[in-house]
Amino acid sequence: MKSVIILVLILSLSAFVPGQTRSENPENQNRIFSEIASAASKVDTFECDFLQEKHMSMLDNILISKGRLYYKRNNRLRWEINHPAKSGFAVNGDHAKRWEGDSGRSQTFKVDQIPFIKVFADQVFTWARADFKNLEKRYHIKVLSDAPIQLMLLPISPQEKKYLDHLRISFAADASYVNAVEVHEPDGDFTRINFSNIQINNPLHDSLFN
Amino acid sequence: MIMSSIVAHLYLFFSQHRSMVFVATLASIIVSVITFVHLNLNENIESMLPDNKTNTAFNFKLLQQAPFSRKVVINLKKGANGSENELIEAADRLAQAMTPPFFTHVVSGTGESLNLEFLLWMINAYPSLFAEADINKIQEKLAAATVSQKLKELYARLLSPEGLGMKRLFQVDPLDFRLNTLEKLRFLNIIPRMRIEKGHFISPDGKNVLILAETPFEITDAEHGREMLAHFQGLLADLIPDNISVSMISGHRYTLANIDAIKKDIAIILICSSLGIFILFLLFLRSLGGLFVFLVPICVLCISTAGVSIFYRTLSAVTIGFGAVLLGISIDFAIHVYFALRSNPGNPQEALARVSRPIIFCALTTLGAFGVLSFSTLPVQRELAVFAIIGVCVSLILSLIILPHVPRLTQVYKKKEETYKKIEFRMARRWVVCGWLALLIICAWQGTRLHFDGDLRALNLVPDEIRNIEDTLQQTWGNFRGTAVIFAEGPDLQTALEINDRIFRYLIQNSSSGSIVSLAPILPSLKTQQSNRQRWNDFWSNARKEYLNELLTTEGKLIGFKSTAFRPFFRLITEPSPFITVEDLRTNGLSEIVDSLIIPADKNVKVLTLLPDTPEIAVLLEHSGLDRSGIQLASQNQFRQTISKAIADDFIQFILKASGVVILLLLLFFRNLKKVLIALIPVVSGMLFMVGVMGVLGIGFNLFNIVAAILIIGLGVDYGIFMVTKITHGLDLATQRAVFVSGLTTLAGFGALVMARHPALHSIGLSVLVGIGAAIPSALLVIPAIYRINDKPASGLEKYRNE
Repeated sequence: MKSVIILVLILSLSAFVPGQTRSENPENQNRIFSEIASAASKVDTFECDFLQEKHMSMLDNILISKGRLYYKRNNRLRWEINHPAKSGFAVNGDHAKRWEGDSGRSQTFKVDQIPFIKVFADQVFTWARADFKNLEKRYHIKVLSDAPIQLMLLPISPQEKKYLDHLRISFAADASYVNAVEVHEPDGDFTRINFSNIQINNPLHDSLFN
Repeated sequence: MIMSSIVAHLYLFFSQHRSMVFVATLASIIVSVITFVHLNLNENIESMLPDNKTNTAFNFKLLQQAPFSRKVVINLKKGANGSENELIEAADRLAQAMTPPFFTHVVSGTGESLNLEFLLWMINAYPSLFAEADINKIQEKLAAATVSQKLKELYARLLSPEGLGMKRLFQVDPLDFRLNTLEKLRFLNIIPRMRIEKGHFISPDGKNVLILAETPFEITDAEHGREMLAHFQGLLADLIPDNISVSMISGHRYTLANIDAIKKDIAIILICSSLGIFILFLLFLRSLGGLFVFLVPICVLCISTAGVSIFYRTLSAVTIGFGAVLLGISIDFAIHVYFALRSNPGNPQEALARVSRPIIFCALTTLGAFGVLSFSTLPVQRELAVFAIIGVCVSLILSLIILPHVPRLTQVYKKKEETYKKIEFRMARRWVVCGWLALLIICAWQGTRLHFDGDLRALNLVPDEIRNIEDTLQQTWGNFRGTAVIFAEGPDLQTALEINDRIFRYLIQNSSSGSIVSLAPILPSLKTQQSNRQRWNDFWSNARKEYLNELLTTEGKLIGFKSTAFRPFFRLITEPSPFITVEDLRTNGLSEIVDSLIIPADKNVKVLTLLPDTPEIAVLLEHSGLDRSGIQLASQNQFRQTISKAIADDFIQFILKASGVVILLLLLFFRNLKKVLIALIPVVSGMLFMVGVMGVLGIGFNLFNIVAAILIIGLGVDYGIFMVTKITHGLDLATQRAVFVSGLTTLAGFGALVMARHPALHSIGLSVLVGIGAAIPSALLVIPAIYRINDKPASGLEKYRNE
C-alpha cells in the first residue's frame, strides 16, 4: 500500500520527459496498474517526509531540501519545505496559497494562475484517483524492471517535452514502497526525491490546506 | 379653371367607356396585389443614414468595424449547484459544435494559460518594448540590496516544484524584468472584466463563461439569420444541461425582432385602421357608393407599393408600415368627391368641376411637401417620399376619374344631410380664436423644450429579453460592446502601427481614462521598436553591464549560484533579439486580440484603439495638437450628436422648403395673401401642437418625425384650402362634412399607427396624431371664426362661378 501511495506522490512530480526505454509486457503493466488503482481507492489521506536533491548546472552544489507532504481526498494538497528555508504551497480545490520564509508572507491565488503548481497538483490528484486512462493520454508509461520495480514516464506532448526528458521511479527491493523518484530535464539537470515515514488515512485537519 | 374643365371633360369621355375604365382599374389592382404579396422587406439601419458621402455614413461604417459589433456573443452561466468545470466543459462542447456553414470562427478562450514559453518570449521582446518609462523601473531593480534579495528568492523558488519548469526563465530573467513587460499586457484587455482561467474567458465571480463567434451571414440577412438562430437553439437543447443558462446576442437577433415586430404591426395597423374607417363608413357614408370610397385607399396602398418597388428592389419595412397612414390620407380626395357628387346629384359633371380644383391644389401642395422630402439624404425618407407621391397621384386619379363612374354614388339620402346640419358648430367665435391663440402660445413655449434625438438604436425595437441580455452582459463583463474606437489607418501595417503609436503616446499623456485598449505597448511599429532598442542599448552601457555582472557573480556565489548561471541574461542585454511581429503575437496565444484590433483591407490596414465612450474623447481629439492624419474616431456618443444635429438641420431645412412650396402653391391658387395665411392655420396649429406636446412629454424628435412634420404640412394645408374655399366661395355644408370625415379617416390611420410596437412607426403615428388632431379642429373651428370676425362670408356658388 505504501509503495502505491508513494508512487502516486512521486509520479505527480513529473510533468515532462522524453527518451527511449525497452519495450514491456502489456499484461504485466496492466497488473501493476490494477494494483495501484486498487490501493489508491482505499486512501483518504496520507502524509510523508521527503528529501529532495536538485542537481543543477547553474548551482555550485547539490541543492538539498527536506519537508513534508500532505494529501486529502477532494483535491487537497500541501507541499511543505522546512529546510534549508521554510516555503511551500497548499492547494484546496481551485484555490491555492504559497508562502516563503518565516515571516508568514504568503500569496493566495487560483491554481490556474501558476501553471507549474497546477501541473503538480493535477498529477497528484490524477494518481490519487489512479486515473491511468488520463495518464496514458499524456505519457508513455513503461515498466523498466520488475524486480525491483522501476517505472518510466515519457511525455507525449511536444510542449511538455521541452521541460521534461523522463521520469524514473524506483521501488524498494521488496517492492513494498517507492524509495526514489528522479525527474530528468532535457539539459541534463535532474531532481531526486526520497520518501519516508509514510502515514496513511490519518486524520488531517482542513486548516492544513487553507 | 383649366384643371376643373379637364376633369369635367374626362368625366364625360369616360362615362361613355365605363367598362374600359373598370377593366383597366381592376387589372392594375390585381397586378399590384400580386406585387404587394411578394414584396421583399428589409430592415437595414443604413437606410436611415445619409448616403451623400458625409462623415455620418463613413463614421457608421467605422463603428461597424468595432471588434464586437458583428460578432455573436454567447454567455453561459452556471446554476447554483453547478461547478466551474461543468460550465467550461459545456462551453467547450458548444464551441466545438458551432461549425460552418452557420459559424466560421469560434473562440472560447486563449486555449492555454500563459505558459513559460510566453514568459520567455515576453522577456526576450523587452528590448523592443523598452519605453522611456521603463528606465526608472529597471534602475530600481539594479540596487545591490535588491539584487541580493532577488537571488535569495530565486534560490528558494528553485526548491519548489515550480522551480523545475521555471529554471530557464530564472536564468534569463533573474531580476524579474518580465513584470515590466507583463504590466504592458493590461492594455490588451478587450473585455474589461474578463479573466483567463483554464484557457477560457471567465467572469470575475467564476459563474460565467464567454464564447465569441463569427458568422458569414450579414446582420441584415434575415432569412439566414433566422436559420442560424434556430440551429443555435438546437445545439443548446442537445448540448447544454438544464443547470446552465445560455444567453446569446448578435445583430441578427435585433434584425429579426424588428422585422417580426413590423410584420405584426403592419397586420394590426391595417386591421385597426380598416376597422376605424369601416366605422366611419357606417357613421357617415352608409351607401354602396360610400363602400367604393373606402376601397380607394386599399387600391392606393397596393398600387403605390407596386409603384415604389419599381424604383427600389427591396422596401423598408417602415415604408410599408407607413402604408396604413397612406390609407388615411388617400381616402380624403375620394371623400370630397363623394360628398360633392351627393350634394349635386343632378349634375355630377358640375359637382366634379367644382370640387376638383381644391382637390387638385390639395394634391399639389401635398406633392410639393413630399417632393421636398424626396431630396432627403436619407434613403428611407426618399423611399417614403416616393411612396407618398405615388400614393397621392393614384388617389387623385382614382378619386377624380374612376370613382365618379361608380354606380349609385349620386343617390341622395336627405335624412343624413339634415342630421349633419345639426352638428354644425356654433360657438362664440372670439372665444374660439382667443382659446386657440392661448393654446398656440403654450405649445410654442413648451416646444422650446423639444430635443433632437440622434440615437438610431432608439428607432429600433429592442425586446425586453434582448435588453435584459445586454444589461446582464454589461454587468458581467463590462461595457465591451459600447466602446469608442480610434482607427489608425495606413497603406500598410507599419504605417498604421506608427499612427497607432502616436495615438497611444498622446492618450497616455492626456487622457484620464485608465481603460485604454491598444496594441501599441506590445506591438509597436518597427520604427518605435528600433527607437526602444536604441534606448535599451544606451541604458546598458559597458560600465553598467560590468557592475551588474560583478554584482550577480558575487552575490550569487554567496548563495550558491555558479558564475555562469546567468549567462542567458547577459545575452539578452547585449545581443539583439528579433523584432516583434504580428506572427509572434499569434503564436503566443494572442490571435483573438490581433484579429480584433488589426483590420486588413485591400488597400489599407486599420489598427484600432478602444476606450470608454465618453464626451471627453471627442473633445480630446478635436482640440488637441495631435496630428489627425490617418486617425478617425468612431464613437456612439459622437455619432448620436452628429445625427441629432443633422436631424435638427434637416427639420429646419425641410420645414422651410416645404412651407415655401406650399405657400407658393397657395398664392397661385388663392392669389390673396390673407386667404393664404388663413389656409395655413391648420398647418401652424398642427406643427405647434406637435412640438408642444412632444416637448411636454419629453419625446425626442427623431428623423421619422421629419416625415410626420411634412405630413402635417401636406394634410393641414388641404384642410385649410377646403375650408377657405368653402367660406369664400360659399361651398355647401358637404365641404365641411368632407373635411371632418376625411380628418377622422386620417386620424384612424394614425391612431392605428400609435398602436405599433415598432418605435419608428409609433413615433410617426404619435406625432402626426397630435398634429392632425390639432389641425382638424383648427380648420373646422378657427378658420371660420377668424374669417368671419372681420369678413362678410361669401355668398355662395355665384361668387365661385364669377371667379
